[in-house]
Amino acid sequence: MDHMTTSAITAARRTGAVLFDSVTKSYGTVRAVDGLTFALHPGETVALLGPNGAGKSTTLDLLLGLRPADSGTVEVFGTTPREAVVAGRIGAMLQSGGLMEDVTVRELVELACALHPRPYPVDQVLTRAGLAQIAGRKVNKLSGGQEQRVRFALATAGDSDLIVLDEPTTGMDVTSRQDFWATMREQAAAGRTVLFATHYLEEADAIADRVLVLHRGRLLADGTAAEIKAKAGARKVSFDLDTAVDEAALRALPAVGSLEISGRTVRLRSHDADATVHALYATGLYPHNLEVAGLGLEQAFVALTQAEEARTA
Amino acid sequence: MNTFTSRALIRLELIRALRNRKFLFFSVIYPSALFLLIAGNADSTERISGLTVPTYMMVSMASFGALTAVLMGNSERIAKERESGWVRQLRLTALPGRGYVLAKTASAAVVSLPSIVVVFVVAAFAKDVQLAAWQWLALTGTVWAGSLVFAALGVALGYLATGDAVRPLTMIVYFGLSMLGGLWMPMTTFPQWLRDIAEWLPTHAYAALGQAIELGHAPGARDLATLAVYFALFVGGAAWLYRKDALKA
Repeated sequence: MDHMTTSAITAARRTGAVLFDSVTKSYGTVRAVDGLTFALHPGETVALLGPNGAGKSTTLDLLLGLRPADSGTVEVFGTTPREAVVAGRIGAMLQSGGLMEDVTVRELVELACALHPRPYPVDQVLTRAGLAQIAGRKVNKLSGGQEQRVRFALATAGDSDLIVLDEPTTGMDVTSRQDFWATMREQAAAGRTVLFATHYLEEADAIADRVLVLHRGRLLADGTAAEIKAKAGARKVSFDLDTAVDEAALRALPAVGSLEISGRTVRLRSHDADATVHALYATGLYPHNLEVAGLGLEQAFVALTQAEEARTA
Repeated sequence: MNTFTSRALIRLELIRALRNRKFLFFSVIYPSALFLLIAGNADSTERISGLTVPTYMMVSMASFGALTAVLMGNSERIAKERESGWVRQLRLTALPGRGYVLAKTASAAVVSLPSIVVVFVVAAFAKDVQLAAWQWLALTGTVWAGSLVFAALGVALGYLATGDAVRPLTMIVYFGLSMLGGLWMPMTTFPQWLRDIAEWLPTHAYAALGQAIELGHAPGARDLATLAVYFALFVGGAAWLYRKDALKA
């Protein structure tokens, strides 16, 4: 999808934060990442979405240098991922990031700061992650949400340029989730590039400048949340008709995606509701109870991936 | 910077090891207690390989204590932390790849030193073991340095086993090496066929180095060679398993 031109790749190599160029990674016969090409630009906040098994975790592993790609290039700030990690340019929070046991929260954050080439003061990191109150507690005595905050502290122990978060708010309650994203927005406002994978699509909708949708290791869509919704045929149009429903005429309307008829009630999806409704009147039909509603990103996401499933099935 | 970053982890690993009372008991107190138990009833005229029983057993128990500290300290923690994802998290820091293993080994070595010295002190004061000053120093240095062989084995086991399997596996290796290597009872009590096997174990060569020093001899060339081969084997195995693990992420 949206293949980058050679000149775009060259430009991304020079100025981009992250570049994936035709990256492939298989586990045995399963191709987890399949010719993936995309670039992230400095200062962007990007959400990585995809159903389970779409290749999100593998993509993040490749980006962080935890696994080598089978073919293709992964570059972070013009260097290999490992070099970028060693230079302290990446801060990452892993979903499966276990923590050292039998040490206190403060001791662990002190370690993270000592390991970063450009660390922040320990107290600042603790406060920003909301850990100041529990700094003396043993790491293995924390709740799931508190553990997530410790992982966040580890990811933000120093002045990194790219922050990678894998399912960062899993296990957090609503308030901590809001606090978390407020902190993340500050990070993004300071010019950092933020890439996060999430299951909560409302988070992607509310926070990301850009959304990447992965499906079977390929890039299915890349754009703003609004663009993704439009791409999915992202308006629901429904109405009732007086006369018998002529399905062919309805299908011929412009911008129509899926179409569902039950009795005299018609529900359809349109990626340009204005054009669809205009044309509907122009055909001489008189719809009653006309409703036009937007799709959430979640529905758009489901529509996109299902359409792709149907196409490739 | 690399040395510095590794040092921060070594420090924290050490704090943790010293907080772990069970680990300290088994690596520092237990060998001395076992020494008193075994050497306590010994006939003062009885000799093993030209050494009195307390003198002989002192080296065996010091070696056993060092073995406990480095083997247990490394294998179980590494396997568990690989499984929990802590090792993965560390790979997202500037810590060099080997820094983790180095920190584990260094902290285990710091615990193994008191486990050696405590046995010596107990032997000298409670059982009146007498050696020249150079022998005490050479013994401490040799037993301590020799424990590195088993630290490497601990690392290899930690990368070989899963979190569930690591404890039984380590126990089998630990008890097998301790008993068959003659750390708990002199090999002279073994039947000949068992002695033939035991002579090739690293623990036997390890204790034999210390016993040579007690007798005022230079360490045996065959013992040194045996230990060197095992060291190369364990380090090579650990490095291979480590790399395999890193590719799996």
